[in-house]
Amino acid sequence: MSAVDLARSIKKACSIEEVEPKRKHVRACIVYTWDHQSATQFFSILKSVPLAPSEIQVFKCLIVVHKVVQEGHPTALREAIRNTEWIRSLGRVPSNEYGRLIQRYASCICEKLMFQASHRGFDGGMFEYKEYTSLAVVSDPDRGYDTLWSLMDLLEEVMETCKLMLASMGRRRKAELVVAAVVPLVTESYGIFKFCTAMLRALTQEIDDHAALEQLSERYRMQHRDLFELYADCSSIKSLTSLISLPKLPPEPESFDMTDK
Amino acid sequence: MSKQFVRSAKNVVKGYSSAQVLVRNATANDSDGPSVDTLDDLAEKTYDSVEFFEIMDMLDKRLNDKGKYWRHVAKSLTVLDYLVRFGSENCVLWCRENLYIIKTLQEFRHEDDSGVDQGQIVRVKAKELTNLLKDEERLREERSLNRRG
Repeated sequence: MSAVDLARSIKKACSIEEVEPKRKHVRACIVYTWDHQSATQFFSILKSVPLAPSEIQVFKCLIVVHKVVQEGHPTALREAIRNTEWIRSLGRVPSNEYGRLIQRYASCICEKLMFQASHRGFDGGMFEYKEYTSLAVVSDPDRGYDTLWSLMDLLEEVMETCKLMLASMGRRRKAELVVAAVVPLVTESYGIFKFCTAMLRALTQEIDDHAALEQLSERYRMQHRDLFELYADCSSIKSLTSLISLPKLPPEPESFDMTDK
Repeated sequence: MSKQFVRSAKNVVKGYSSAQVLVRNATANDSDGPSVDTLDDLAEKTYDSVEFFEIMDMLDKRLNDKGKYWRHVAKSLTVLDYLVRFGSENCVLWCRENLYIIKTLQEFRHEDDSGVDQGQIVRVKAKELTNLLKDEERLREERSLNRRG
C-alpha cells in the first residue's frame, strides 16, 4: 500500500457523515503501520486533513487515532506520544453536540499516552498482559505501588469516559458513531483491569505488610464493581455485542486473602 | 457456471501458477467450503519453498479483500487455519510474522443487501486463529498429533 492509498483511507475514515468510521479504512491504516513499521506517515497525513469545521470529523479522527495506537505497530504508540499535544488540541475544537464527548475522549487518550510514556514496559498500544512487566514492577515494591496506583487512575479515566459515551447515547437519533468509540474503550479497560489484577496479586505475595496494601485492594474492589456494571450496561447495546464479545468479569472480585501466609 | 468460466480464464490471463489456481479455487466466492482434498493438497505444497510463497501471496491478497467478498476472507482463514495445523513449519512462521493481518480481521464487518451481518463468521474465525497462534504449546501439540495421524 502506498502513501496515496493511506491518505485516501484516512480521508474516508474521517469523513463527515455521522456513521462509525468504516472498519475497512481503519484496518487499512493499521495494516499500513505494520507494513512500513512506522506510523510517521499516518500522523503527518492525519494532521494535514482539515478537521476543524466539523465536530463529527474530529470525533472520528480521535477514534481512528485510538484504534491505530491500540492495534498498530508499536511505533504508532511512540509516534502518538510525540503528538500528544496535537491530540489534546483536538479536544479544544469548539463544538456543541459532540463537544463534551470530544473533550473527554481527547483527554482520556492523552492520559493513556502519558502513562505509557512514563512507564516503560507497557509498550504496545493495547494493554496486553506480560508476565515480566508485572514481575519487574513488583520486585521494587515502592515503584510497584506507584505504578499500580497510576494504572488505576487510568482505568478510572477510561471508565468515566466510557460512561459518558453511554449516557449520551440515549438522547441521540444516531448512536452508531458513539458505539464505535465505546469499542476501543472497552478493550482498553479490560486490558488495564487484567494488569491491575495480576500486579495486585503479585504485590500481595511479595509484601508482608498487608496493611499497606489495604488501600489498593479496597480501590481494586470498587473498580471491579464499577467495571462489572459498565459491561452490564454495554451488554444491552445490540450493535456493540454483535461486533465484539464483551469481556466477562467474575461477579465477585478476586480476593487476595492475606491471612493464609 | 459462467462465474467459474471467468475465473479459469482469469487464471490463464494473469498467469497464475498451479498452486495459486488451487488457492483461488479453494477460496472462491461461492457457498461451498473448500474440500478436504484441496486443503490436503495445499498443505502438501507448502513444503515446496517456491509454491509456499505463491500460496501465501495469494492468501494475503484474499485476506485483504473488501467486504463484498467476505467469502474470500472467510475461506482464506479456513485455509490458513488448516495450513497452520497441517502445512509446513513455514506457514506458522509466516502467520506469526503477519499476525496483524489476521488480528485486525477480528472486527471485520459486512452487511449484505438484505442487512444480514455476514462478518460474524470472519470475526469468529479470526479470533480462533489468533488464539491458536498465540498459544505456542497447544499449536505444537496439535501439529505433532497431526503429523503422526
